[in-house]
Amino acid sequence: MSLLFKGRKSQNERVKKSLFAAGYFFVLNIFRQGVHSLGEMWRTPMASMMTIAVLGLSLTLPATLYLVVKNVQQVSSGFEEAAEISLFVKESMSEQETQTLVKRLALYPEIDKVSFISKQKALIEFKQVSGFGQALDYLDANPLPDVVIVTPTSRHRQPNAAQALLKKLEAEREVDFGKLDIAWLERLNALLSLLKESVITIALLLLTSVTLIIGNTIRLSIMDKKEEIQVMKLVGATNTFIHAPFLWTGIWYGIVGGLFAFICVALMMWWLGSAVTQVAGVYQTNFNLIGLSLGEFGALVLLATSLGFVGSYLSVNRYIKEIEPDKV
Amino acid sequence: MINFQQVSKTYPGGHRALEKVNFHVKPGELAFLTGHSGAGKSTLLKLISLMERPSAGHVFINGVDLNAVKSRQIPYVRRDIGIIFQNHRLLERHTIFDNVALPLIIEGTHHKQVEKRVHGALDKVGLLDKVKCHPSTLSGGEQQRVGIARAIVNSPPLLLADEPTGNLDPELSMDILRLFEEFNNHGTTVLIATHDLGLISRMKYRSLTLKDGRMSQDPLAEATL
Repeated sequence: MSLLFKGRKSQNERVKKSLFAAGYFFVLNIFRQGVHSLGEMWRTPMASMMTIAVLGLSLTLPATLYLVVKNVQQVSSGFEEAAEISLFVKESMSEQETQTLVKRLALYPEIDKVSFISKQKALIEFKQVSGFGQALDYLDANPLPDVVIVTPTSRHRQPNAAQALLKKLEAEREVDFGKLDIAWLERLNALLSLLKESVITIALLLLTSVTLIIGNTIRLSIMDKKEEIQVMKLVGATNTFIHAPFLWTGIWYGIVGGLFAFICVALMMWWLGSAVTQVAGVYQTNFNLIGLSLGEFGALVLLATSLGFVGSYLSVNRYIKEIEPDKV
Repeated sequence: MINFQQVSKTYPGGHRALEKVNFHVKPGELAFLTGHSGAGKSTLLKLISLMERPSAGHVFINGVDLNAVKSRQIPYVRRDIGIIFQNHRLLERHTIFDNVALPLIIEGTHHKQVEKRVHGALDKVGLLDKVKCHPSTLSGGEQQRVGIARAIVNSPPLLLADEPTGNLDPELSMDILRLFEEFNNHGTTVLIATHDLGLISRMKYRSLTLKDGRMSQDPLAEATL
């Protein structure tokens, strides 16, 4: 409705429309502007490609670092499987008492698996692997104790939880002492934690740079279209109307930059995959690199799109406001 | 339609462009605004189109005090005013169709209506065959007519023109003025700022004269007195 001339309707208002039709045209207009801004990017292919490449490569690095952490976590979770507790049974305990202990331990909610190694079995194994077989025959009695090997559940394999479980098990009447070789696991987890923090810091810096790159690209685009913006304001365009194409451009940069980053990461994974499999083969392990899942791919593109929107929003909000028609 | 009451405009730095200007343009009237360069013609048009605000006094359009218009309402006020510039101010990267369609697209007009209205406006200014051209391929006179088509495409009740014939030869200037006359005959209020006194003398319309920021001659005011 006109502000100066009551009763005067715009061309748009002269055509009677239902609420549904009005909403439909509103959404249609937004998408039309989106397609139009995509066309604008298409008309300047070199400049657009360069910007997209910079954004894509800037996003590739945090995505790659994320995959490094993810794969290292996969390796370390394999090591955590080895977080077993060895309980040495008191020499004075009878075989029946030891068996009772084994059955009792199997009922612990923190324990996944319990296995028993008798002192006789342990001696045979020791003879085989130590190389002191004949020397051990001269001993009057078996010096080795009965051992109960306890495997904690996955929740209790973490260093702190495993230590707490060890203390609890050492309190058992039949147990002389227990052993948990976990120092190396603690060190590994500390390194992993440091790696995660470093990745987050680097990712934040790179994502900030992506936002600034998009913001600056949009700023240059605004400056390039300064006269057009002035004319649009003179013929009655609102700031929202003028903002829309620039916001769309930022969104498109984000989407295409995100896809570019995904392709770079996928190519890198493909390139490194065979080399990693070869190294894993040397160590007789079955390790395969894990790439980005469908959900992570979606998150990457969504993140890039959001950064595109934020970067362009900061620019349009700052610079379009300043452009006013100055000369009739 | 346009009512200036004791309007003064002083720019930052102290330059006084208008001083206590009073005049009234009636609805459906065609009037010229004359004066030498720097007399305040452009400033006066800027005040009507809300590109500037008065330092003192009031500008009324159809009874609405423009001082009361908030910044966010300015685009909606400008949709009621068709503005024509001496240097055309066309979008060089867009076609003639896109240039003329701009006010309608801004209003959110349906594309079928846009097409109809743009063709209608270009037909009025005699440029229907140039719909797909770009401004740089047109002559000065043709570009000015595109500017006029853009100004009238959404049928604004008020038309402002700042030196619309400034760069045109006398014959083309008369053609342009006849177009304004035609719009005026259909009820549009037209205010044309020009320093071409020869042109004004050939047309029998009211002429307001500005001199050093003051209204030095207004036939209507003089007749009232």
